[in-house]
Amino acid sequence: MSKDINTRKKRKSSLGSRRKKFAWLVPLASIRLTLTLLSLSMILIFVATLEQVRIGIRGALAEYFESMFGIWHYPEQFWGGEFLHVIPLPIPGGYLLGGLLIVNLTAAYITRFQWTGKKMGIQLIHLGIIMLLVGQLATQAMQEESRMQINKGESSNYIERFHGVELAFSDVTVPSTQKVVTIPQDILEDGGTVRTVDLPFKIKVKKFGVNCDFTVTPQGSNREGHANEVNRGVGQTANLTIRDKEEDFSSEGLNFGYLIFEILDGTKSLGTWLSLAHPGGNHWWKQSPKLSDFAFQPIRHDGRLWGVTLRSEREYLPYSIELIDIENEFYQGTEIPFNFESDIVLNMEKNQTRQALVYMNTPLRHAGKTFYQYQMNAAADYTVFQVIRNPSWLIPYIACILVSIGLLWQFSFHLVRFLRKNSNNAKPA
Amino acid sequence: MLLGFKISQFILFQTVIVSGCLLLFSCGEKKEIQSYEIPSEYDGPVVTWELPDQWGENPDLSGPMAGSFHVKTELGPMGRIGVMPFRESVSSTDVANMFGMELGQSTISDDELKKISEIKLIEGREFEWILLSDKSHEGSTRAVLLALFRDKGETWLFPFIADHDLIKSQTRNFESFLASTTLRAGAIEIRAKAPALPPPPPAHHTHQNQGPTWDIPSHWVKREASSVRLASYEVKDVNGSTLDFSVTSFPGDVGGILANVNRWLGQIGIDSVEQDGLKKYISPIILDDKDAQLVIAEGTTDSLYAAILVVEGRSWFFKITGDRTLAKVEKSNFLSFLDSVCFH
Repeated sequence: MSKDINTRKKRKSSLGSRRKKFAWLVPLASIRLTLTLLSLSMILIFVATLEQVRIGIRGALAEYFESMFGIWHYPEQFWGGEFLHVIPLPIPGGYLLGGLLIVNLTAAYITRFQWTGKKMGIQLIHLGIIMLLVGQLATQAMQEESRMQINKGESSNYIERFHGVELAFSDVTVPSTQKVVTIPQDILEDGGTVRTVDLPFKIKVKKFGVNCDFTVTPQGSNREGHANEVNRGVGQTANLTIRDKEEDFSSEGLNFGYLIFEILDGTKSLGTWLSLAHPGGNHWWKQSPKLSDFAFQPIRHDGRLWGVTLRSEREYLPYSIELIDIENEFYQGTEIPFNFESDIVLNMEKNQTRQALVYMNTPLRHAGKTFYQYQMNAAADYTVFQVIRNPSWLIPYIACILVSIGLLWQFSFHLVRFLRKNSNNAKPA
Repeated sequence: MLLGFKISQFILFQTVIVSGCLLLFSCGEKKEIQSYEIPSEYDGPVVTWELPDQWGENPDLSGPMAGSFHVKTELGPMGRIGVMPFRESVSSTDVANMFGMELGQSTISDDELKKISEIKLIEGREFEWILLSDKSHEGSTRAVLLALFRDKGETWLFPFIADHDLIKSQTRNFESFLASTTLRAGAIEIRAKAPALPPPPPAHHTHQNQGPTWDIPSHWVKREASSVRLASYEVKDVNGSTLDFSVTSFPGDVGGILANVNRWLGQIGIDSVEQDGLKKYISPIILDDKDAQLVIAEGTTDSLYAAILVVEGRSWFFKITGDRTLAKVEKSNFLSFLDSVCFH
């Protein structure tokens, strides 16, 4: 008995010394802070859900979850909205609340939790929750979402990001291989003149936009703005006028990124081009005879043929997927999809192949990427996969296991104690 | 038990460190320029070249032209050299007639072509070499040198249109330019189609072969149509002055408006113009509810009236040229003719 009391005292004094050592963490471990943060999280989810109707899922994610704070305007259609709508309300963002929750939980872990067998379940539950939060952060930072379109009977070895474009130059002079040089959106957004040893010329960015309206300029009038400077390529032959447009975050939004750029050989200008990125992938330009060259605008320099295109950011894979067959089924008498199915062959390195059926909720997993059935057009004989790469995909599973073990431990511990106590009380005197 | 605590402590601190790194990573990541090689995906035709120092590039590229150049001289840019890739193996006679017509030559037969053509071996490749002279005006020094290269069912045409002396002095440069070219046939269909034989001339007031119809002034005298000319008429006055009227049609835009207008200006002794100077000679008109361009150019002795219309990727040229005074008289008849043009 006295041994038990000594051990308990020793553990309490260990907690006391930790609290002294990390005194600055004590206010951060406050349960009030936890409750405040959880309440704010609920407000954040509520506001983002309302805003999702207006700006779409991606817009709400960017504005409220992938930021430190977001600005919300009380909806006009709500009671008193005509007066309150004008007031901008700052809402703490996902990064701020998530970060503070991690700090709060970690501080509590250090300054309040006793590392005893009795409390081990609580520790594991909290550790699991911390891992969930960190896992979400890792997903935000590292997850990449792309698409892969394959025509029936053909194969594809690259994926294209849903968001973000790149200016790609391809030297196609040699028949067997082509050299590709890509300039990412970040650099295009910065503007200025781009020099790289991989290109024999310089690129002067004149105007870049993530979305635009493009129209054929009526005869007798001049192209507007920077489009008037275009004197080479499709922009000139199709006589296109470009009007800048805000990025459309809605799920149906089609963003045509555009770039007006000049190519310089030393100080000599080779001309100014316009390039447009098709939101569904630049192969779609081929459907439009006048604009088909947007997929490959030729530039000849020093006896070499380069093709330039502004396209969705592309990643080449060391393997390819061949589409053998597709099938889509609908609920009888409706246009509600019942099943989309792609019969594919995965052509891997060393001539290895693997046949697979990809359909709703049954993706193909290979080399760290997951290929989900995304879209299909049976009439046009093609399928589109949504390709997800998430190196942190395992963290939520580990977190859930930790929380489950913690709960099991905690309840079992108390159950055993309760049963013991009961059996002791039941013993006849 | 102690081991369990140690492990949970370790995981906790690792988690904190990882989350810190992730925050830094997500805020600071900036993508770089990438360069890599892939197996060739491009299956279109490849045409590249290196220009001689004395040549300059014309920016007004359009239609089937893959390149367009001029010779830099003290008097400014002179001549016109082009690169035209064709999808098919084009008949040399058709090509020669296409250019010969513009030089006022009568239809060239296969036998006649043999006399004015030769095979030149340049850097191991065989080019068909055809030299055509201007027959439309006496004393004209304009000429066309055509170089044709054929490979795997495709044809590359390099026309050099200039003064005879300029062509002669630039022949070596032309050869070195041809030697520098990389010419590779494409696997996919490209827009630059071969100038297929034109449809037979449409009958007056009929709706044959879905070609256009028109009304010809009764005093215009019909001449024999050729493989290139869909319709050919002559107008004469009592003084013996003549006008030549023709209707021609080609796939694509045959080098674009500037190239065609400049070629016509040269035929009536007017200097070539740049894109800005084009406005002096062209104005928009409507032909059969379609946007078209009317060309009016009046030289010292000769004039030219023409209309250029592009319908479904095909260029139509309606042109009357000849004596300046007679052209003025016939101008209203020509405009009435344009009004009557109807595509069905």
